[in-house]
Amino acid sequence: MIHHSRTTRQLQLLVFLILTSFIVGCSETQPNNVLRFGLANRPTNLDPRFATDATSARMNRLLYARLVDFDETAQPIPSLATWEQISPTQYRFHLQDNRQTFHHGPKLTSNDVKATYEFILNPDNQSPHRSTLSLISEIQTSSNDSVDFYLSHPDGLFPSYLVIGILSANLIHNQHPFHEHPIGSGPFTFVDRPDDTRWRLMRIFDEQLFEFLRIPDPTVRTLKLLAGEIDMLQNDLPPELIPYLAKEHMVQIQRRAGSNFSYLGFNLQDPVVGKHEVRQAIAHAIDRSSIIHYVFGDTAHPANALFPPTHWTGPSTLSEYSYDPQQARTLLRQAGFTDMHPAQINYKTSTDPFRLRLATILQHQLAQVGIRTSIHSHDWGTFYGDIKAGRFQMYSLAWVGLKTPNIFHYAFHSDSIPPQGANRGKFVDDRTDLLIDQAQSTQNIQEKRDIYQRLQTHLLEALPYVPLWFEEHVFIARRSITGYTLSNDGNYDGLLSVQRTSSNLTSQPEHEEH
Amino acid sequence: MLGETAHATDKESLRQALGLHLPIHSQLLNYLQRLIQFDLGTSIHSGRAITDIFLERFPATVELGLGATIVALTLAFPLGILSAIRQKTLIDFSAMTFALAGVSIPNFWLGPMLIMVGSLWLGWFPVSGRDGVLSLILPALTLGTAMAAILSRMIRSAVLEVIHEDYIRTAQAKGLTESRTIIRHALRNAMLPVMTLLGLQLGSLLSGAVITETVFAWPGIGSLMIEAIQQRDYPIVQAAILCISLIYIGVNLLTDILYAWLDPRIRIRDAS
Repeated sequence: MIHHSRTTRQLQLLVFLILTSFIVGCSETQPNNVLRFGLANRPTNLDPRFATDATSARMNRLLYARLVDFDETAQPIPSLATWEQISPTQYRFHLQDNRQTFHHGPKLTSNDVKATYEFILNPDNQSPHRSTLSLISEIQTSSNDSVDFYLSHPDGLFPSYLVIGILSANLIHNQHPFHEHPIGSGPFTFVDRPDDTRWRLMRIFDEQLFEFLRIPDPTVRTLKLLAGEIDMLQNDLPPELIPYLAKEHMVQIQRRAGSNFSYLGFNLQDPVVGKHEVRQAIAHAIDRSSIIHYVFGDTAHPANALFPPTHWTGPSTLSEYSYDPQQARTLLRQAGFTDMHPAQINYKTSTDPFRLRLATILQHQLAQVGIRTSIHSHDWGTFYGDIKAGRFQMYSLAWVGLKTPNIFHYAFHSDSIPPQGANRGKFVDDRTDLLIDQAQSTQNIQEKRDIYQRLQTHLLEALPYVPLWFEEHVFIARRSITGYTLSNDGNYDGLLSVQRTSSNLTSQPEHEEH
Repeated sequence: MLGETAHATDKESLRQALGLHLPIHSQLLNYLQRLIQFDLGTSIHSGRAITDIFLERFPATVELGLGATIVALTLAFPLGILSAIRQKTLIDFSAMTFALAGVSIPNFWLGPMLIMVGSLWLGWFPVSGRDGVLSLILPALTLGTAMAAILSRMIRSAVLEVIHEDYIRTAQAKGLTESRTIIRHALRNAMLPVMTLLGLQLGSLLSGAVITETVFAWPGIGSLMIEAIQQRDYPIVQAAILCISLIYIGVNLLTDILYAWLDPRIRIRDAS
């Protein structure tokens, strides 16, 4: 019996050893010729006609070429095409001679441009970009290299709307599934998508492979970078992780001022926050510089207007609301609120832990001047749904990826109260409407800029939003990664020039490369 | 889907395309008709067929669920049995402390801790992702430890209940070794409540372990459903709920069938 049990134990040990070696043997090794990029969110749709999320938009920039791009000041510049304004309602675009061919071979022509935009404009196709482009009444091609856009009404900003990736007319006609297998004429070509967490792209000029990995948890994304399983990541990290990573010798950090505008929004029909003095009191009660220093670790900049000073309409000098609790209390008293009868505000935010933390800090700072806030946090879909439907008293949110100043009409004009636009706080102000209308009607860029700057000064006084800050873009990579340049809108164009230097490969841990 | 500035005509066109203009009963009937043909619809955001998305995600969930179950069984049975037969000893105390810790430690903490040790310090396993067999070990350990903790307590109490029965005394009197008595007689009789719990746990694992899947970027059903809820991708949410319900029912049915196999007294007999 004893012999039998010893034999059994030996057999069990043998099976265990075989299984262990099987497991180790079966594990896939990661080839070292691939550059890996960590993503917080999945690109929802790699078809530019339908993509609306930031990750898809950034990856689509790599896969598809577009007619127009933006410079550092967010002014439209030629990309695939140069343009001329034939009349206030007609623009002619000339495709550049040195343009890339489509990844499946054919040359990109004006027919492809026409087919792409006509597809978007067809209401049956339900493209989310149709409403922005609905001023296009007709598209005509005079040659393979030239395309004319006719507008229903003049709009000086029209070229800046043509930033959607161009698809092949033939593939559109054949109903090619671009969301499954993107084919464009951008600097990267789509290779495959092994599962719902990985997308493989190849940089065409040097055939460098890239793998985009979705790693939703920021801590795990950071650990993956430290372990060498990804080479780089950009943004979407809690600010406290950045000083921690800065101490790690194997990683490098690049930072750049961003343009994503964080703000507090208000329901201006509300008896409490509808009062101008209350909003001014809130602006004076918030100690933004302390929040930026202690909470953001100095990875944000105070905002006073929708656009940063680097934007072509961004005002360079605005007198900001200083942190002044005494002034805030005085303003509240003027609005009729006292310690016995305090202002009470419901504050809506999302369930994102960092946003909730910020909300509790703001709640505390507002309490110091006698404003009682109760925080209501909801999952993103519910929260955003409530904001869009106007079900809020006060909320915090950010405008992401703003480029064109038509956002002022969309967010502040009295014609844009939902469902017509995003004037969610129902801000009705004659001077604002007048300035927006004037800016939109003028064709002179300098004049446009002056009016938009005056408008932003006025908005800071009227306070439909309390501006908070612009969060910085942060790029973190292994030391072996070189050549990446952060853009001011957080796109991934830096991947066009990024390289892994071979000298640093040998210093990486043994388990990361094989 | 269409943005806030969408024209009323576009919204109406989308409603018609999605069939939302039809009366509720027609919508339900259409849905059931498609369901019979295994057509779960298409994702609102990605435009992909939901059946394809599920077929892609489900193997990952099964893999993780089975991996975690193997970890749980490997830990729970020795711990539960040992603490039962060595009741009120150091072994019992240690095993039950492990069980308490296993139940108390949340997966969102244990996962990153295991990554720190297993991936960063030791360099044995990948940090996250589904890339080879090694990548299964940390998520399976994270999920399996909590499951083992509950299971081991259940095994301990179930074995303690039967260990003083007459048939155990008879087996010992026959001269059987302790291990044989426990495995052949005590454990088999103690298995019913354990199987019930195991069935429920396996059901919930196969329905997607949301936190573990998120921490380890594991592309399973749980994370798919959470993403769909966040994006308001209703067809995916609908299909995920249906799929999860069916898995629960299936696993519980299997558990019931296993009862009959384990305990001949509850086999269905012909009344005649």
